[in-house]
Amino acid sequence: MSILSKTFTTVSLCALMAAAGARADEAGPLKGGRIGYVVADAHFSVYQTADGKAECPQGLNPHGPREIFKALWPNGGKMEDTILVREGLNSFPADHPAQFPYIETSGNTALGLNLDGKVGPKDFTSPEGEKGIDNAFYRVTGCNTGFRGPDGQVQLFASKFLRGFQYNRMMIEISGVDSLSDDPSVDVTIMRGRDPILLDATGERAAPGGSQRIDERYGKPLIQHLKGKIEGGVLVTEPEKDITWAWQIEGGHPRALHIRDMRLRLSLTPTKADGLMGGYFDVSTLLDWTNGYATHHLAYDRLDSPEFYWAMRRVADAYPDPKTGENTALSSAITLNMTQVFIQHPEESAGKQVAVAKPAQTPSER
Amino acid sequence: MKNTFRLAAALFSVSTFTVGHAEVSFAAEPRAAAHTVESYVKVPMPPGFQVIVNELEGPVFADAKGKTLYTWPVKAMRNGYAADPENKSVCGDKVVLKSAGLMSPYPGGLDLPDPETRVSCVAYWPPVYAADDAKPVGSWTIITREDGKRQWAYDKHALYTSMLDRVPGDVLGGSTMSRRGDSPAAREPAGPPPAIPPGFRVVSTVRGRMLLTDTRYSVYESDNDGPNKSNCVNDCARTWLPILAPHSAQSQGEWSIVERGAGVRQWAFRKKPLYTYSEDEAAAKLDGGDVPGWHNVYTQVAPAAPKDFTIQATLNGDVLADARGKTVYYYSCGEDSADMTPCDTMESPQQYRFAVCGNGDVAKCLRTWAYVEATPGMNSTSRLWSTVWVDPNTGRRAQPHQQGALNVWAYRDRPVYTYAQDRAPGDFLGNNTGEWHGRWNGYQAFWIRDLGGRGG
Repeated sequence: MSILSKTFTTVSLCALMAAAGARADEAGPLKGGRIGYVVADAHFSVYQTADGKAECPQGLNPHGPREIFKALWPNGGKMEDTILVREGLNSFPADHPAQFPYIETSGNTALGLNLDGKVGPKDFTSPEGEKGIDNAFYRVTGCNTGFRGPDGQVQLFASKFLRGFQYNRMMIEISGVDSLSDDPSVDVTIMRGRDPILLDATGERAAPGGSQRIDERYGKPLIQHLKGKIEGGVLVTEPEKDITWAWQIEGGHPRALHIRDMRLRLSLTPTKADGLMGGYFDVSTLLDWTNGYATHHLAYDRLDSPEFYWAMRRVADAYPDPKTGENTALSSAITLNMTQVFIQHPEESAGKQVAVAKPAQTPSER
Repeated sequence: MKNTFRLAAALFSVSTFTVGHAEVSFAAEPRAAAHTVESYVKVPMPPGFQVIVNELEGPVFADAKGKTLYTWPVKAMRNGYAADPENKSVCGDKVVLKSAGLMSPYPGGLDLPDPETRVSCVAYWPPVYAADDAKPVGSWTIITREDGKRQWAYDKHALYTSMLDRVPGDVLGGSTMSRRGDSPAAREPAGPPPAIPPGFRVVSTVRGRMLLTDTRYSVYESDNDGPNKSNCVNDCARTWLPILAPHSAQSQGEWSIVERGAGVRQWAFRKKPLYTYSEDEAAAKLDGGDVPGWHNVYTQVAPAAPKDFTIQATLNGDVLADARGKTVYYYSCGEDSADMTPCDTMESPQQYRFAVCGNGDVAKCLRTWAYVEATPGMNSTSRLWSTVWVDPNTGRRAQPHQQGALNVWAYRDRPVYTYAQDRAPGDFLGNNTGEWHGRWNGYQAFWIRDLGGRGG
């Protein structure tokens, strides 16, 4: 075979494979213009260098619950004058001003999205060079052990436990998709699944190709809609004013993040969707979510809840209180790693015996 | 009080009880008839003891006066062990005045609240002493305490009564209901094993005594089956997996064997063939009970909440709510001391609760965590729920109609609350407020059904 023939054959083969690939997409995960993904890993986006010196030149935050206790009450004392004071402040942190310095993140680089479309003096630049990145929450998480990977307690467990809890089984379905590479208009539905995540042979990583029924009962308020587009294989959605996102760190501590002006930017392939979920998070939402990890665990990370609260209030950058003018929310982003999943719609389950919600009865209905 | 105790002893010294009318029924409602109680194994017992079937806990041991017996099983804490190891009591007669630091990032050795009124462990949990001539019977054995006194033990665990139990049949000193991990080493009522074949277990839930497989998977029954006859075959039997009985299994008591075919035998309980659900991916699920005609199985149903309550759907499942739909919470507290004394009662030091409910400010506490007041004239028809009078400024039990006192609802004699920041039915923003997700000193939503933890 001549070189020309070899080249022609190769080109033809590539073309055939590409065509076959496109058809495989249609026959595979992209069915009827729809494709689903389920969250397999998630963590608050924290940009970190290997030694941390660029973003945390003063080191990591040293004042956790143990250290603060030791500083305030070196000789112990009465329970109600010591431990219960801190436990009280955990619930009511505004009752006492910050008492210890909190190391905020330095540097100009952060992960996140440009939420306000502007490039401001407090904005970051992404590692890829995008300017105007809004991520105020990174100011308080970047130099906190717990939020840094790979072994920070919050970072590790919020993601590690995510796959095990049905409560956390957040999904998106993109519909009206002509191509995963480019489509000027697609619809995105957020929803929650009801089934275990398909895992690969290691038992540790999510595998594409699983199926999920939709939680239309308790998860009904989580069914929310976004508009978006796909450009160069990247899904970008328009900001949605109020989004609720279920995410509990540990079992038995269910929490719902309230995200304002939420939008997604996810790189799509037939098997996964990776990227960012950005928006503004209320201080109260973030405090509540973090407190879900118990003082004991937060102590490992030297994260003291009342001090954390004041640090968040200092760097809050959005949604000013109409009365005081003080910002009440922080820009932030969550890094999402999602795995392709076949989402079963109820009408597709016709003929299959499926669980049907029986409404709770009240006395008047009895 | 003595007469009340005796009267109640007469009412409750037999192994039955009367459950009132269900007030608020549950989604995927438990199906055991309201009057049905759990059968148990008639284990050999020493003289002077009895079995009382409790509404929530099922059959429990009690002394001759009807006081429930408790064990205090050893439990690993983050910084050491708490409670009784096998065949030993660590519940002593010295008043403990210092914290232990077993479950806190903070150090131990702090002064516990109310030192002047604190009582010793044995005053709180009187040991069940054995007479000098008492002899072990079956799983009932006798251990020797450090002071040389002899104490009854059951299944290798020392037995106690509780000062929290006031009338016979009370089981206010502890519960076997799941408390999840990282909770205090709690007292648990001791009782005979349920009368169930190998391969099953029964657990206490707010809904009732729930029958599970020994691997904790839910057990179901079908309306479509006849008495001791399964009509679930082919596709049905692939979704609903018959629980097979071994060749050697025998019908006994409420348990029978259904012949599905030659040599294929299926367990039935109260004449209803039993199944697991192929789509249950985790333990103790209620999902199968959502399928029309199918039900989780209970050996006995817990009394429902009074009419002042409703049930609301949340992102995490069904929660008990007040009449307005506001989520109801209960307060949990275990003292981080060697005695691990409960601090969630109206008789406990209130400093713990006031810290997390109002940062020590009683008025703020009352604004933030409101008691659920009982509608005048409304009474509970069960022992599990009651109306109690409380002085809101002290958190202490009050005399009926005492000036400023509130008549509030209590579950297991502990008042229940709503949370000010919950704005709409289904909100549960107060859930897990406080230490260790609210398990050590804080509030937890009163889940009737939750999506659960890992795998849930």
